[in-house]
Amino acid sequence: MDEHLVWHGYLLSHHEDFTVIQSPFTLNGTRVFGADSDPTTLAVAALMHRIGIESVTSVSVPEGMDGETLTAACGVEVVKEDDLDDCPWDLMMSDEAVVVLAKQGAEVTVPQLDVAVPVMADEHEALEQAWTKELHHQHVSQGAFVSEAAYMEGAEARLAMMGQQHGDSIVWPPRYGERGASEVTGMKRTGRVLSWTALSAAGAPSEFALRAPLLDGLSTVLLQLDDGPNGVFLLVDDEDHNVTMGAPVELVLRRLYAQEGFMRYGLKGRLV
Amino acid sequence: MVNVAMVGAGQTKYGNHPLGLKGMWAEAAEQAFASVDGDFEPRQVDEAFIGSLAFGGAQLGNTAALLTEHSGMNGVPVRRVENACASSGYALRDAWMAIKSGQADVVVAGGIEKMNDLTPERKRYWLGVSGDTEWERLAGLTFPGTYALMARRHFHEHGSSHDDLVHISVKNHLHGSLNPKAHIQKEVSFEKAASGFMVADPLTLYDCCPTSDGASCVVLAADHVARQLTDTPVWINGSGAASDHLALHDRPSITRLAATQKASKQAYEQAGITADDIDLAEVHDCFTIAELMATEDLGFAARGQGGVFARDGAGRLNEGAVTVNASGGLKSKGHPLGATGTGQAVEVFHQLRHEVTHGRQVRDAEVALTHNVGGSGATCAVHVFGREVA
Repeated sequence: MDEHLVWHGYLLSHHEDFTVIQSPFTLNGTRVFGADSDPTTLAVAALMHRIGIESVTSVSVPEGMDGETLTAACGVEVVKEDDLDDCPWDLMMSDEAVVVLAKQGAEVTVPQLDVAVPVMADEHEALEQAWTKELHHQHVSQGAFVSEAAYMEGAEARLAMMGQQHGDSIVWPPRYGERGASEVTGMKRTGRVLSWTALSAAGAPSEFALRAPLLDGLSTVLLQLDDGPNGVFLLVDDEDHNVTMGAPVELVLRRLYAQEGFMRYGLKGRLV
Repeated sequence: MVNVAMVGAGQTKYGNHPLGLKGMWAEAAEQAFASVDGDFEPRQVDEAFIGSLAFGGAQLGNTAALLTEHSGMNGVPVRRVENACASSGYALRDAWMAIKSGQADVVVAGGIEKMNDLTPERKRYWLGVSGDTEWERLAGLTFPGTYALMARRHFHEHGSSHDDLVHISVKNHLHGSLNPKAHIQKEVSFEKAASGFMVADPLTLYDCCPTSDGASCVVLAADHVARQLTDTPVWINGSGAASDHLALHDRPSITRLAATQKASKQAYEQAGITADDIDLAEVHDCFTIAELMATEDLGFAARGQGGVFARDGAGRLNEGAVTVNASGGLKSKGHPLGATGTGQAVEVFHQLRHEVTHGRQVRDAEVALTHNVGGSGATCAVHVFGREVA
């Protein structure tokens, strides 16, 4: 194993032939997912790191990961079952909150890391139950919601920070009818806090009604992104609400909310 | 071009109203019709515009047709106007334009919202439907959060503070305590307002308007008809409106509302006045920071000086050059979303006719302004009124 680092709020171990990404949170010595992470969010983090080192164009994806989100966030092709033999990269997951991205045939060893952020059993269980309820197909919206079509329409902007070049500046999210704008362009996933608020559970949108009370509310930041545009994002892993004006933030992919059997993912802000 | 006057105005009390949509609208419309000095029948109405978000979705489609049926206006061409909280500000503008165009002589503009017959969960859902659903709502924002972002940025850029917002809350509660139509007719101390339950840091419960039921209605007439109906018309001398990016993060600045600035500039120019000529202003204080910014955007305070304006009590009833929210504003009078814009016009109607009671009359009021904002500033309508035609 060559390198261990904190990456997108996870523990990443880099090897020439594989990448191991582990949740920092533990329950009774077992790695568990955080409040808004799952196998898909860990897989995106692994892919983003590897893509920064070498080309990854296609990958096999196990059941339980959202292939469309991986494609939108990382630009990789998800290989169909019939073509698995020709796929150079495999994504794998374990019973714990650990995901491996490996070259086909690589001999993988998962390192035992000392870093552990213990979580409370009852809080962890309550959050998992809330996610399960949210994801149920009978958990329906009353009208104003982000449908699957709307989600996919904005997926590249939301998950991969694709904006529109417009002269010297970038328009994000891209606009239909934006005269003078050229093709989409990838943006850096970093910015600084222009403003912030911590919402009480009662002040949060109803999409978050099940989880906001368990998280003691939500924190939202308005960021000036390093490429120019501004954006609003939920903060991730910010139980202490210790954000400040001007603080640097990186954007990492996490679960946003679920409804009608469909999980919505998006970028959230992580204080760095 | 024809001039337009308000000749009648009425509204329900705002708050937890025992009646539903039909009963509330009938009450407001009947008051408005009865307030016309001369003989007036609803069948004289040529056109009607009714603002509503249709909160709760109970009568989401064809809301306006249902309401005309219950106010003696069956058969009158009508439509629901929807621009979130600015719905009836735009209904008023549409009514004004209908007369200005020469297509109508007598037009009704009104608004209505029934908000308190929903469960807390449904209410919370509907309170967030007017922001940018895809980008703001998914970032955890409803309007308390959006305005909290504005407040914190204003504090940072201009040195204003939460204490300035508390002064606004205390003032509007004082004014509302004198208004029998207000939702919250109760004064609040500085200390209590400063220590309210935190809703969206830095905004507390005392920075947020209540969710109210209510309906409001005004009758507009072309000048040649208006003079037959009353000796004391209230003239609409300017109507301005503008839109802006729906999402806060797309705007170059979040410490001003560009739509307010544009709309007020238009309205002032039409009326041939400046902000200095306004005696009273009903401004859209859905949150106290909204009033602070509005006093700057409307020109009552210099850019960045809204906090000083509030701290100095410049908007208090009959104490400064302009009285801001003599009705109690959205903070105390209440905010039945679709009814708020024409509800502001109802207040102005009575103020400019010098017929307000309970010690709430703005002295020697000659010129007034209403300022109605949709969402966090995506839409705005500003109207300027006078006892004399411009």
